Order: sequence, then C-alpha cells, then structure tokens
Amino acid sequence: MNRTAVAIAVMLASCLAGAEPATVLRPTELKKEPASDAPTLAPLAEKSKVEVLERKGGWTRVKTESGAEGWMKMLLLRYAGPGASPKSDSGVTQALDTARGGTSSAAATTGVRGLDPDMLANARPNPAELKKMEGFAVTRESAAGFAASANLQPQKIAYPKGAP
Amino acid sequence: MRRFACVLGIALFASATAQAQFRLDLNRLLDTARSAQHATGDIDEKQEIEIGREFGAILLGAAPLVANEAMQRYVQSVGRWVASQTERPDLPWQFGVLDAPQLNAFATPGGFIFVTRGLLERMRSEAELAGVLAHEIAHVLQKHHLKAIQAIAQQKTAAGLLSLVGRDRTAGMRDMLVGIASEMYLRGLDRGDELEADRLGVIIAARAGYDPYGLPAILQMLQAINPGDSSVAFMFKTHPAPTDRLDAMEKQGAMLDAYAGQPQVAERFASQTQP
Repeated sequence: MNRTAVAIAVMLASCLAGAEPATVLRPTELKKEPASDAPTLAPLAEKSKVEVLERKGGWTRVKTESGAEGWMKMLLLRYAGPGASPKSDSGVTQALDTARGGTSSAAATTGVRGLDPDMLANARPNPAELKKMEGFAVTRESAAGFAASANLQPQKIAYPKGAP
Repeated sequence: MRRFACVLGIALFASATAQAQFRLDLNRLLDTARSAQHATGDIDEKQEIEIGREFGAILLGAAPLVANEAMQRYVQSVGRWVASQTERPDLPWQFGVLDAPQLNAFATPGGFIFVTRGLLERMRSEAELAGVLAHEIAHVLQKHHLKAIQAIAQQKTAAGLLSLVGRDRTAGMRDMLVGIASEMYLRGLDRGDELEADRLGVIIAARAGYDPYGLPAILQMLQAINPGDSSVAFMFKTHPAPTDRLDAMEKQGAMLDAYAGQPQVAERFASQTQP
C-alpha cells in the first residue's frame, strides 16, 4: 500500500467514524489512552472546540483545534445543541405533509405517517398487531443463550442509594 | 385512588367484552371492579399487565411494527435478556420496533416496550439499544406509568362518567381508557421519573454485561440534534433536555467506568438490524 492509499484509508476511517464538531463542557485533560491514569497530552479549556472521532466506553477520541489527537471523558462533551447553528430539518414533517397532500409519489408509497402527537391523539387500538408482536417473543432461556453467544457476562450491581 | 381503580376496572371489563381477542379473564375483572369499592384500590400485577396490553395496542394503532421479523426477534432477544437482570424478571416482557421515522421509545405498565425505527437507525451498537431498552424497563420496574395514569384518571373520572349517561357504556368506557393512554403519552412522565429511569437504566445495562455508556451515547447523539427538528420535537417535549440528563449521569461516572470495558456488540447489531 503506498502513502496515498494510506492517507485515503485514514480519511475514510475518520469519515466513517463520523467526525463531528463538539465543545468541551468543563476544563479537562487530553489523554494518550482512554484511561484516567494514562499520560496527559494537553489541558483542554472550557468551551474549546474539538472534532469527535470515536468512542470507547466512557472515553471519546477527539482532535483539538491545534491538531492534537487523544482521549477525553465522553460525558464532558457537548455537540452544537440548542440555539447553536440551527441545522436544516431532517424533513420528517415535510415528507409527511407531502404524503398527506399526495403530491410526492415516493413519500406516498411508503405509507408511513409516523408517530407524532396527532397520530397518537387519534390512535385506535390495534390488537392484531399486538398479537403479532407477542408471536415474536423469546423465552428467558433463549435470551440467555443469545447473550452468551455474544460473550455477555451478567453482573451483580446494586442500584445507587435512594433507588429501589 | 379507590375511585380510579373502580373506573379502570370497569373500563377494562368493558374493553374486554368489546374485544374478545384480548382473552381477558372476565370474571376476575368483574370482581376487581366490584371489590375496588372495598379494597385499597391498588393495582395488582395481573391488572398492570392487562393495562399494558391495552396501551400497547394503542401505541401499535398509532404506528405498526416494522415488517421485518428477523429485526423484531433480535430486539425481543436483547430486551428479554436485559429485563431478565432486573427485580421483575418474569413479567411477560415484549419488545417491538414501531414503523415511525421519529426518534422515540415508549413503555407500558407490565412490560410492553417499543422503540421507533427512526431511533434504531441512529444506533451504532447493541449496547446502545440495550441502554435505551433498559431505560424503558426501569420505568416499568418503578411503575412510573401507573402513577401518571392515576393522576390523569382522577381528573377524568367525573367528566368521563357524566359523558356516559345515555350512551353505550361499553364504547364509552373503552374511549375513556384510550383517552387516558393517549393523554399519558402526549404529556410524558414526571421529569424526576425520567432521570431515575436513566440512573437505573445504565446499571441494568451493565448488569446485562453491556458497556453501560450505550445510553449516554444515545443521549449525546440526541443532544447533537436541533431540538426543533421534527424527528425529535415530540420526544424532547416529553423528556428533560439531553444535556441535563448527561449532567445527571456524571454522578455515576465511577460505576460506569468500572464496567466500561464490557462489550458493545456492534457487529451483531449491524447485521441484525438491516432493513
């Protein structure tokens, strides 16, 4: 693999990881590895901008504005959020409006009206669909086998204080 | 409370007679309606499950299941495994994917749980799915919906009963039950109950062996979406802001980190949720 191919692969990987701009909520540290005891690469100031690369447990790999890459606490990241750079609408409502108006054949043929307050307010029970759902149910035993096949190990953990 | 149990008992009885498909135990329901005048008015588990089936049918009336049996069975398996790690492992837990583009998830009393196709499409791993289902499972464990239903039913009872005068009682009672359900889902649950479901949800997901950061990851994904967007407007209206929910989770950081190395199961999720 030549250098260009490597560069393209790296670019692709970061695209696939969905590099997204985010802001640091409180002062923290950029770590070399996703662990509290890993070496610190740089301090991260409150409100500094980073690009999100990937998540591993409670750690997110980010790229800072100065180009440094490392890991920071996931819960200290916030994305654009309320009021900041309003993105264009996902178009869910527009698609529905078109479907209702019958002007878009693509939207109309899907026939999906979605689950908005209007639909819910006017919903009538659909017991046939409930029966179908119950037909797909799995037993507790088969669910345990399903978990084991992905190496999921059950743990005994207490709820926090004040909870049941 | 007593009046509520009575009304609900009658409503359940009426709806049961109206819809034989539900195969409810009519005699027992009739007893419930009668005994509510003497008993404490508390709802037992069987009644809770019957309310859940009614509410589940209403949600499915608003949006049907995604017509993908493999996907539905997969979500049932993840949910059943997660629910098995709780204090109510033997409820008749059911999990389904609703065919709706919006991002949302719902539960009913008694363990009927739904996630929308829109939300499932934004997930990247089984741990994220498990986290969302665990949040809904926590609502069922804590009977948050029953609390909300009781508040609504108490307000509706007088007006509801008056409206039945001179009408077909069966249809009227059924309408009242449908009205209570849709009002509850439109209003949403108590804000404190949502935060409690987050606190318990991450622990339940960790108990099931998943990376407990699945639910926080979904909240962070939601936080990146403009709250006015039509895909999330309804969900945001009925839940605390994702950023507040993430703030609250920071207090559990130490617990989360202790299990953060558990699997995310991204590959199986990708292969089983293909359209």
